[in-house]
Amino acid sequence: MDRVGVARLQVASLATLALAWEAASRLRLVDPLFVPPPTAVVASMGTVIQQALPRLGDTLLKTAVGYAIAVGLGVGLGVLIGSVQTLRQVTMPYVVALYSLPKILVIPWIVLILGVRAPAAILGGVLFAFFPVLVLVVGGVRDVEPVLVTIAASMGASRWQLYQKVVIPAALPAILAGMRIGLVFALVGVLLTEMFAGIRGMGFLMQQLALSFNAAQLFAATALVSVFSIVAVLSLDALNQHLGKWR
Amino acid sequence: MRLIFLRGALLALVVAIWELIARPLDPVLYVAPSTLPQAALRLLNQPDIPPLLEHLGATVRAILAAYALAVTAGLALGFLMGFWRVVARAYEPILAALYAVPSVVWYPSMMLLFGLGTASKVAFGFLLGFFPIVLAVLAGIKQADPHLLTVATSMGASRWAIYWKVLIPGMAGTLAGGLRSGLALSVVGVLAGELLGSRAGIGYMINHVYNLLRTPEYVALAVLMATLVLAVDSAAGRLEARVKRWTG
Repeated sequence: MDRVGVARLQVASLATLALAWEAASRLRLVDPLFVPPPTAVVASMGTVIQQALPRLGDTLLKTAVGYAIAVGLGVGLGVLIGSVQTLRQVTMPYVVALYSLPKILVIPWIVLILGVRAPAAILGGVLFAFFPVLVLVVGGVRDVEPVLVTIAASMGASRWQLYQKVVIPAALPAILAGMRIGLVFALVGVLLTEMFAGIRGMGFLMQQLALSFNAAQLFAATALVSVFSIVAVLSLDALNQHLGKWR
Repeated sequence: MRLIFLRGALLALVVAIWELIARPLDPVLYVAPSTLPQAALRLLNQPDIPPLLEHLGATVRAILAAYALAVTAGLALGFLMGFWRVVARAYEPILAALYAVPSVVWYPSMMLLFGLGTASKVAFGFLLGFFPIVLAVLAGIKQADPHLLTVATSMGASRWAIYWKVLIPGMAGTLAGGLRSGLALSVVGVLAGELLGSRAGIGYMINHVYNLLRTPEYVALAVLMATLVLAVDSAAGRLEARVKRWTG
């Protein structure tokens, strides 16, 4: 089946799902208090946006700061650890272990130290985004073709030139992959900290909507964050492809 | 040998530095490692602390239920979609896009639909664990060698035989990777749900001692949980490596 056919199937399936949901809710097969019909969710979008856009702005600002810190640290340390063999062999088991630990266990401590304020949520975002970026960048730098480095060095490249002209460009796909995955993780970290501690932002707002049984607005808010994050990730993907062509 | 020594030295150094930093500071905010064994003991024998083993059991049961659901639904839906190439091509991008959504946004809805009890934690752990598994099945089916499939079909293999003899061995490595990430994410989902509000489980205990500002007990619980997660994850990692060696 061709592209158009696949797109048609996608639209048809989503439409069927929405219709079935609408019907189930209207015919009271499910309790509309908990599962309001999609039309009610769409209708409440207007109210939610008024309330949620400033909160979404709070959350995104925190995410941007946390993300920038995590990417800076992750790429910097990743290039360092990736290019020094002994350092890599000594630290990587710990890095991988920390990478696979549920970071949420640390969030209560962060809130205790930094208080119920934006910096705690930012640090939560850093904590979630840093390790995936680091692990991917270390892998990318480690796998840079050694021949490239040898040739450049034998041609008299300085250490700085070596990194700027050879190592970083060669590791760029891994760095970009890290930046893509880091973005989603930074959002998770910020939202989770907001939910846990009740810090002003989208996470806390959604938690409040859930606790006040405001299902229609909650689903609308969920859709808002989801759409935003999907758009952000897809545009990073497009950027990657663009850079890939340029390389 | 030297490497193991260096690794051990690094860990010891970090712990020692932390001990030196934490000692003179407020023990409610900064927990020195040397106070942890005592805190762990207090977790076991103080009457005002909820029983550890009972709550650990609740968490483990919730994780097992969430993971069992995620594996069942992930494999079933993955293979069902894989049967029809068109369906897989249509639904995979939708699933991949949903996977790009920061997973916590689903939790408030789970809380609304399933309440504050165990059900919402299981639902959240299931949701997180489901995605990597179904995506691994789809990726595995896609990477199957079309040449082998053609040969098998032309030799009259049934659809069933193609699945068992060609597809599954070819995709076992990818599948094992997906099952491992699914387990890790089911664990995260249950723990996150418990920490965001619950009446049972390790997350509940952490919140309980945390709200009493008994930070050493909180840290001891977090270290216990981290150790368990690492043990399970490294066991799963070894299993995954073995499957990959098997199938090449």
